[in-house]
Amino acid sequence: MNFTLLKLTVAVIASIGLYSVLYRENKFYRLVEHTFLGLAMGWTLVALWTEVLKDTWWDRMVGHVPQTPGEPMTMGNWALILLLPIGLMGYFVFSKRHNWMSRIPIGIILGLWSGQQIYVWYNRYGPQIAGSIKPLLPTQAFPLTVPSTEGMTPEAAAAVAQNVYFSQALTNILFVFTLVSVLSYFLFSFDLKNRFLLNTTLMGRWLLMIGFGAIFGSTVMMRFTLLIDRMYFIWIEWLMQGVFQRF
Amino acid sequence: MADNRTLGEKLQSLPRQAIYAILFAVTTIPLFFTFRVPIVPDASTVDMYAQIHALAPGSVVFVESDWTNSTRGESSGQFQALIRLLMQREIKFVLYSMADPQAPRVAMDEIARINAERVAAGQRPYERWNDWVNAGFFPNAEATAAAMATNYRAIFGAKSDTPPGGQPTSVLRSPVLQNIENISDADMLFVVTASKTSTVVIERIFGRGVPLAFFVTGVMGPETLVYYQSGQLVAVVAGLRGVYEMETLMASGVNTDIPGSYVTDRHGVIPAFSVAGYEYIGKGTAYYPTLHFALTLLILMVVIGNIGMFMVKRAKA
Repeated sequence: MNFTLLKLTVAVIASIGLYSVLYRENKFYRLVEHTFLGLAMGWTLVALWTEVLKDTWWDRMVGHVPQTPGEPMTMGNWALILLLPIGLMGYFVFSKRHNWMSRIPIGIILGLWSGQQIYVWYNRYGPQIAGSIKPLLPTQAFPLTVPSTEGMTPEAAAAVAQNVYFSQALTNILFVFTLVSVLSYFLFSFDLKNRFLLNTTLMGRWLLMIGFGAIFGSTVMMRFTLLIDRMYFIWIEWLMQGVFQRF
Repeated sequence: MADNRTLGEKLQSLPRQAIYAILFAVTTIPLFFTFRVPIVPDASTVDMYAQIHALAPGSVVFVESDWTNSTRGESSGQFQALIRLLMQREIKFVLYSMADPQAPRVAMDEIARINAERVAAGQRPYERWNDWVNAGFFPNAEATAAAMATNYRAIFGAKSDTPPGGQPTSVLRSPVLQNIENISDADMLFVVTASKTSTVVIERIFGRGVPLAFFVTGVMGPETLVYYQSGQLVAVVAGLRGVYEMETLMASGVNTDIPGSYVTDRHGVIPAFSVAGYEYIGKGTAYYPTLHFALTLLILMVVIGNIGMFMVKRAKA
């Protein structure tokens, strides 16, 4: 039997239950909230075994005996059993007497983490630092903007790409000014008295605010999108495509 | 009891429940109508469309799906657009997740839905194991990404999927991954994410020979575009606007003769997404016009509140 409509209906009731808190705090909301939390926790626990421990630890440890012809046999690797006590040591954090043992797995994780950081930092910020070095002066007086390369030979198009036009130089100047002024805002180590520096840091603060405003605007749009999606689910997917099409 | 509040005070304290009721109406009624609003796609989205079309049929890509129903409004449309294009282009993909244990299930439901649409439209179903394979969930994004960069077979080899009519078998034996020795052998790594796994992937996999292309939520858009500007990402689709841009490109292509086609000299002709038998109207097309009504209500409420504040201040002065 196909229980699609029943499943959709339960989801709609749960959605309404969660939105009912907008009216006021109520038991229906609490019921749905706790049901969701319980389901999520249950799912995570099962996934922890089926998706993580079984595949990457248990099956490798005990090996695999072929069930069908042609299927390869894999030998077990019982050395992996040593991971179990190391992992369990983490739970000694709850023991006052033996909590030193929990530092062993934590130390291993910290060591692995620390070892990655130089590479990680450079991989994340290195290309951005390199990309911040931009030409500020145009190499061509005219045209002021980048010409269209449509219909050009590849050589001519490459020449256009190598030039710096006035509009690009202006964009680059704005970029570098923003970068420098925002960086100067974080000069906390000494007292700024120079008027030029003070104005630059003030500009940096304003530019940061504009950036935060853009992020806040995106956040508001995202929240609205989530609401619109719920409304689409209730009215279109459940009512129009589910209930009305069935009855 | 008489209400002695001034008009300014009333404007600042409109009943919350009434505003919610208006919001629900505003976000519901437009959904019953399909209409497009004009838009000029961002270069980052056009690049995404172009990058997918530049992949040759039979290419192998990684699809990291790190979203769940909590961001379905944005991520679902992004994921659907990506998977539809990959399937149309006959590109093989391996699906995995490293953000949330629920993510693989949510992604597989979407793939099943798109496959059902393909079958209904008379196309062949995209076959699990042969055309795409599910590697499931990996815990600890940092360790997983680091392992993928150095020796992905060591961690993917432990994951199994089921061939048609067979027993669970290592995903490395599937037609999708059998010729992929290193991550650099893959043609692209797509990340559809609503979490910080985007930066984890950049930090550990960038520079390993596989181009990175991200689909992120609107909140993450501004910070993720920084990586696109610096060349660490070859393409970015951000938020609902990004979904709508992708669907606009799918509807009319780039530099085509179709009305509304995006015209640019950065790319050649890129055809529209077309499947005979059904008209594709994605979630971006369904939601984006409605978002305008919701934002209009928000602006209206801000204006009313400010007028009220101004009136109260003026009366007190």
